[in-house]
Amino acid sequence: MPEEGQSQEFSDLRELLLGQEKERLAELERRLDELELSPEELADYLPEAVALRAARDKQLARSLAPTLEDAFSESVERNPRLIAHTIFPIIGPAIRKSIAETMAGLVETLNHAIESSLSWQGLKWRVEALRTGVPYAQVVIKHALVYRVEQVFLIHRETGLLLANAAAADLDTQDADLISGMMTAIRDFVQDSFGSAADGDGGLRTFSVGERTVLVEQGPRALLAVVVSGQHPPSLVERIQATLETIHLRFSSALTEFEGDAAPFEPSQPLLEELLETVLATDRPGTRSAAPRVAWVVILALVVLVAALWIRSALRWNRAITALENEPGVVLVETERGLMRSHLEGLVDPLATDPGLLLDSMNVDTSRVEVRWQSYLSLDPEMVAARARQVWDAPTSVNFRLVHDTLIASGTATFDWMHGLTSSAALPGVSHIDISGVAPTLPPELATHKQRIEDQKVLFEIGSAALPPAALDLISDIAGSFGEMLDIGRVRGYDMSLEVIGRSDTTGTSEVNQLLSLQRANVVRGSLAARGIPSEMIATVGIGTSDPIRSADPDNRSALNRSVSFSVSVTYPGGGGNQ
Amino acid sequence: MIQKKICMVGVFGTGKTSLVQQFVHSMFSEKYHSTVGVKIDRKEVDLSGTKVNLLLWDLAGRDEFEDIPTSYLRGSAGIFYVVDGTRRETFDQIADLRDLVNGAIGDVPSLVALNKKDLTDQWRLGKGDHNTLVEAGLHTIGTSAKTGEGVEEAFIWLANATVKSE
Repeated sequence: MPEEGQSQEFSDLRELLLGQEKERLAELERRLDELELSPEELADYLPEAVALRAARDKQLARSLAPTLEDAFSESVERNPRLIAHTIFPIIGPAIRKSIAETMAGLVETLNHAIESSLSWQGLKWRVEALRTGVPYAQVVIKHALVYRVEQVFLIHRETGLLLANAAAADLDTQDADLISGMMTAIRDFVQDSFGSAADGDGGLRTFSVGERTVLVEQGPRALLAVVVSGQHPPSLVERIQATLETIHLRFSSALTEFEGDAAPFEPSQPLLEELLETVLATDRPGTRSAAPRVAWVVILALVVLVAALWIRSALRWNRAITALENEPGVVLVETERGLMRSHLEGLVDPLATDPGLLLDSMNVDTSRVEVRWQSYLSLDPEMVAARARQVWDAPTSVNFRLVHDTLIASGTATFDWMHGLTSSAALPGVSHIDISGVAPTLPPELATHKQRIEDQKVLFEIGSAALPPAALDLISDIAGSFGEMLDIGRVRGYDMSLEVIGRSDTTGTSEVNQLLSLQRANVVRGSLAARGIPSEMIATVGIGTSDPIRSADPDNRSALNRSVSFSVSVTYPGGGGNQ
Repeated sequence: MIQKKICMVGVFGTGKTSLVQQFVHSMFSEKYHSTVGVKIDRKEVDLSGTKVNLLLWDLAGRDEFEDIPTSYLRGSAGIFYVVDGTRRETFDQIADLRDLVNGAIGDVPSLVALNKKDLTDQWRLGKGDHNTLVEAGLHTIGTSAKTGEGVEEAFIWLANATVKSE
């Protein structure tokens, strides 16, 4: 215990004597151990160290530059939006201004092209061009494009003092300093009055006095005011801006340090004089007239096209109207051709051609035509003929022709139709009917059967009057045909009779042949009667060899004449016809 | 040639325009005062061989209720105050006007013209008033637009002051 107490006392004593030094020793030891700066210490010294070194030379900036560049590009790669947002306040207005200038220039160019081509003034110039024989392009240039930059003022922005000026040779520039000051005052006045001072580069940019325009371009330290007479091209504004920029660049320190002495700005004189120019009609090619010319060509083409369409439509309409007027059974009462809709009113015979179809066939757009047709009976000869054909159910083989009030029929027609016609009621517009030119014919169905029967022959064996079995079918056929003829005749008023003619060949005596031929005819009549043909309608005759059927072959001739042939006679008791 | 922008400041009716009309080169008519509020004239002075072109922005004399448009003051190298010696109130307003000007463009060489000096019998200013201005650091010159007394001197003094202050 006592040893322990002694040691404690010694330690306390050492603490008392060497306390502070001990701490410093420990600190020194620590530093020796580390030998390098801790981040905390570096943080303490860095700002001061940077400031000291930066004040001495540019080495620090040089060494930092690559790292900063890397850091910047790294940052852009990682998050471009951050950088974009940071620098936006700087580049935003610059871009905006640039776009605004471009758009203003474009709009002015367009306005000018449109105004000079389609305005009343443009028309006046066109008339002048026609009258004087000068090309239109030159007239436009003479009136619209000649301009003259008369005076250029370079003005110190803050004081409104004139730094330099250039003027066309014939102009008095004595009071340029006063004008420059007053221009600045007026700009201030406008800016104050309309409160556009807030948006930095606002303010009065252009003002016009009669034919003259003053273009004011403003830079950070100076203004360029340019007095122009006539119509300046938009490119002039761009040139003024470029000149102003050059001046700011070249006279940067002179502008900043300006105290009223304009002498340092004398070298800017040539720059200002470059802006002075007089542009005459002959100086400029007629490039600007291209747009108006194209516009005129387009307009002219459109006018021609519309006119052509209008004329075509009018021609079609007129042709259609003429066709309708000439059309039998159509009477036009009112026609009216409108821009969008047309109107037609009239009378149409029910038998006339449909006017709608007629218009269609004439290429008239019927959907745009309003029509009102009323029915009527036309006394036009064609219509009367058509009506006659319809009312009397005339066959196509009959033609009608109206001469005065007599309807003349021609062609061929059946007895029964002709008989019906003569007993028909009269038609409107027809007092007499003349059918003397019509050849009467059998109804075709009767003619067919008649022909069919008369084409047949029943052939017999030599010297025989017995019906060969093969002839029975033929006789049935003839009986059928004749039966049908009787049925038709009964309905349409025709009478029928059948003559059966017997023949013989030339072998044997004529008496025998005569008898044989009659026998043959009678056998056939009997057979026909047995098939339902009343015998009183059948006449028989034996003609022997008196009227032989001719044939070149002698054997055939004999066979052909050992036969019975037929003849059908049809009479129309009503009309007296006989076939 | 050196040019300086000088603003002529003073309340209505102190004779600023008369001072200017008689002794300077004008090309703009009086109506600018009522329309734009300022008229610009030129005064050439010869400072022992050096010609100085003073561009005088003659601000319309406002009444006490209206302020001078400070945008017109911008860029002034000197201020030419005008007081009507026969109207005390025009003197009293100098302090306010000076505060306004200094507030807008800072302290620039200034001069106070005590005008209408020819009207001695109606003079309303005393020696004390003169001292007040001097103490405020303002040079004063008695002028008369009618006789021309002090006018040239005043312009030359101000031109000198602006050139020296560079």
